[in-house]
Amino acid sequence: MSSRPLPVPATLLLEEVARPRWLLRAAGVLLAASGLILFLLAVQRTGATESLLSALALLAAGWGSLAQGAFALATAVRPAPPLVLAIPWRWLLAGAACWAAGWVLLAASVQGAKANDEAPSAAAKAPLYPPLAAWRDFSLGTFAAYAAAILGSEVVLVLLQTWLASGTRGLGVAPPSAFVLSLLAAALFAFTAGALGASRARRLAAPEATIAVLYLGTPLPLLLTVLPAFPGLSLWVGYRLREVTYLAELIGRPEFAYWLTFTLLVLALALGILSGFVAGGSGTLDLRAGFELFVSTRHVQVFRPRLLFGALLVLLLGIVPPLLILAVLRAADAAVERTRIRALGMRDPMLAAAAQRAYVEKAQSATAMMTALSVGGVGVGVMALVIVLSVMSGFEADLQQKILGTNAHVVVLKYSDNGAMPEYADVVKKVEGIRGVVGVTPFIFGQVMIASEGNVDGTIIKGIDPATVGQVTDLPRNVLPGGSIDWLDTPEKIPARRPLHADSSDDDVVHRKGSGEEAVLPGILLGRELAASLRVLTGDRVTAISPLGGGMGPTGPIPRSRAFRVAGIFYTGMYEYDSKFAYIGLRDASSFLDVKGATGVEMKVADVDDARRIAGTVLQALDGYPYRTKDWGEMNRNLFSALRLEKLVMGIILTIIVIVAAGLIVATVTMLVLEKRKEISVLKALGVPDSGILKIFLSEGLQIGVAGGLLGLLSGLTWCLFIEKVGLRLDAQVYYIHNLPVKVEPLQTALTVVIAVLVSYLASIFPALRASRVEPVEGLKAE
Amino acid sequence: MALVEIRDIFKSYWLHGKRIDVLSGVSLDIERGELVSLVGASGTGKSTFLHVLGTLDAPVAGTLRFDGRSIFDLADADVARFRNTSIGFVFQSHFLLPEFTALENVAMPALVQRVDRTLALSQARTLLERVGLGARLEHRPGELSGGEAQRVALARALVLRPALLLADEPTGNLDPATGEGIHQLLREVNRDLGITMVVVTHNEALARSMPRRLRLQAEKVLPA
Repeated sequence: MSSRPLPVPATLLLEEVARPRWLLRAAGVLLAASGLILFLLAVQRTGATESLLSALALLAAGWGSLAQGAFALATAVRPAPPLVLAIPWRWLLAGAACWAAGWVLLAASVQGAKANDEAPSAAAKAPLYPPLAAWRDFSLGTFAAYAAAILGSEVVLVLLQTWLASGTRGLGVAPPSAFVLSLLAAALFAFTAGALGASRARRLAAPEATIAVLYLGTPLPLLLTVLPAFPGLSLWVGYRLREVTYLAELIGRPEFAYWLTFTLLVLALALGILSGFVAGGSGTLDLRAGFELFVSTRHVQVFRPRLLFGALLVLLLGIVPPLLILAVLRAADAAVERTRIRALGMRDPMLAAAAQRAYVEKAQSATAMMTALSVGGVGVGVMALVIVLSVMSGFEADLQQKILGTNAHVVVLKYSDNGAMPEYADVVKKVEGIRGVVGVTPFIFGQVMIASEGNVDGTIIKGIDPATVGQVTDLPRNVLPGGSIDWLDTPEKIPARRPLHADSSDDDVVHRKGSGEEAVLPGILLGRELAASLRVLTGDRVTAISPLGGGMGPTGPIPRSRAFRVAGIFYTGMYEYDSKFAYIGLRDASSFLDVKGATGVEMKVADVDDARRIAGTVLQALDGYPYRTKDWGEMNRNLFSALRLEKLVMGIILTIIVIVAAGLIVATVTMLVLEKRKEISVLKALGVPDSGILKIFLSEGLQIGVAGGLLGLLSGLTWCLFIEKVGLRLDAQVYYIHNLPVKVEPLQTALTVVIAVLVSYLASIFPALRASRVEPVEGLKAE
Repeated sequence: MALVEIRDIFKSYWLHGKRIDVLSGVSLDIERGELVSLVGASGTGKSTFLHVLGTLDAPVAGTLRFDGRSIFDLADADVARFRNTSIGFVFQSHFLLPEFTALENVAMPALVQRVDRTLALSQARTLLERVGLGARLEHRPGELSGGEAQRVALARALVLRPALLLADEPTGNLDPATGEGIHQLLREVNRDLGITMVVVTHNEALARSMPRRLRLQAEKVLPA
């Protein structure tokens, strides 16, 4: 041994320090950490902790140096007053020294590969097996492709959405549709660029992808998130991102929307990378999968009628009833089969043995059980998503219908003249011609107290034009039988319920038709709950008191009161409206509330989702100030924001069920891979490339996802149909709604299934990659 | 030019950090159409040699030229394509895929190459009839006897008419009579189709019947 030449001294040195390596490492970490603490103490002394922390936060996203550079440039152009800082040099130097020494120790603790203590082998001169030396470097081209994918897709999304949605310089598509279209385009962009990058690199190139996403993907959502916190920043770029932020704010938590969208884009990129690797792993684009499908279908056997039917039964009826049915069938089957085997045995024992063998072999393998379980798991997730989202959509649609039935889609108001609009007739004429507007009516808005003989209640009173209000709201249809909206114009037709002597001392609107007859009072429509609390019916008399209507007296504002006769009772189905709204004729309101002309003009549009754009067009047609417009979304923003956020959160929570099911898929496909190790080796020996093996096992996960997704869709829709047709009764006293509302939205439902299939696909990536890396010789050892 | 040129192949295993040399500088030429037997004691690395030759296992060093082409320099996917088109394997166990019928198993290499399904199946049928299994087309491997399964495996190895057939103790699991039938078949294939063949065997009689005989000994391949 001593005759052998010594290795290089440096290697020797490393070998000698090999034993106390962990000690060195710990010491290094400790020193570096104390250096960091010293630094922090130094910073604390300067009092600049806050600005340093914000700079560090910028660094976390990887843009620190760039941002700081830009900042330095900006301060150079416009020099700020010099900041006087007492820099604690000693602390800083001590910290730096500790930090550097720590790293030196850490570096010293890194041990190289053990030095070879053997003599050069006989292979020393032979050519190296090339794959042994294949060094896969960081590929700049692939990194560029991934970076372009994530950053480009974000830019595409923002620009396209702005262009599509902007009413003035773009196409003026309704904001939600604009977002969906742009998201699709952006996802497609990310997918394509990712696929190109991966097929170019012929590997997944995870380091490149991570760096690209972290460094180039996060800044934009980060910017959008911090935008509201920096007034200067939002002044500078805020208005350019108007369309983006508007939509995100619709769900109430904008940052939530930004990061969710970002996640979706990253997902599209990941899928693109994987697809690029699978399709282009062989160097040429190969999208054919006939062979792989042929093999994988035999492996998982998802589309067996027995499995599908069983899973569907479980989804529709729950677990216990199908199990009972199964047990009964099994028992019957066993009885029949055993009788048959016994009869065979009477003739020839060999026949009986063969039949017995065949009967035992029918039992399912563990993997088949797992497959069925995963299909069921995905099915349960999709079913829950379909049902819950449909019910929530039903509630939302119900609410929207009630709100839009009572309120106009777009309202025109005026800033000046105390909010009055004497020229409302001109406004109506101008607005009527605008495309998309289907009905226009003027209104007066006020708040009064209404008193009957039994009770008093505060209400919102609205003056309407009975002739045209039907074009805008559902009010004429909501009036319950026994009353009529037309009686607001012709109060003399209202049948008085009780002989009453109208008190006309301060009332100039009351017309007496003659002594002994009923006083003709102006009509008023009351909501059902309001009428109930006032204990009045159609034909009864009520008194409205406007607290400010009487002008100023010596002691302050004088209330004005006036008697009305109930011309009808309406029912909208919305408790807030039925208990708080009252309608009177426009002219009565004008004189009673002392408003010249009207408060504003409200209108109905053909497409409710287009209301925002039409509101903009209306404002343009009216030449802007002093007019202003509001759309229904704006007027009820809180309610709909809450609803949408709730639905989104619900969707995410339920997606977790699908993700749990995806865990099942991971387990199932992993089991399949372990079970099929030998087959994988054989397939490789037959010349299936790694990407082919990958495709086989990916498609196995995909088949489970598709089967589960379709079963879940089917059972979910069946349940929705059941709820809709048969109905689940709700306590109307609590919910103000009789049946659980269901509205199956095709897009949302399809999206649910697509997400389930995607998640299954993603879940099978890991086991499929493991399958593709099985060494061929591993499974080919002789048994 | 020889069909296969092997130069300086080294192959070692590491067991608990200890190196075990299996092949040390094996160099060999195999001519087109040759029928070669390879014998050697158990555990000398005959199978490993065959696996390296068939690109299923990675050597430490060396070159393999096939038809003048350096195989080790190819990309993974191209190696897979080479294995698919140019090499047929027969192992000691049949290694048929259990989910597929005999016919589909035989057609598998053609399907990997994305030959049209009906065409691949008809080729497979012809071949199965030739090895005398025309009546067992739709049987699964579990329903075949050992000798039948091995004949199906042979048909699978031949379906794409590879240039080189590598057989690793193809009759090791069979009784002498059945094994003799397989040997007969191998000789026929070599004679009628002109397929080059390397057969690893313990069967001295079979080895002696081959025109060229090799022995793996002391990590080298030598003429026997």
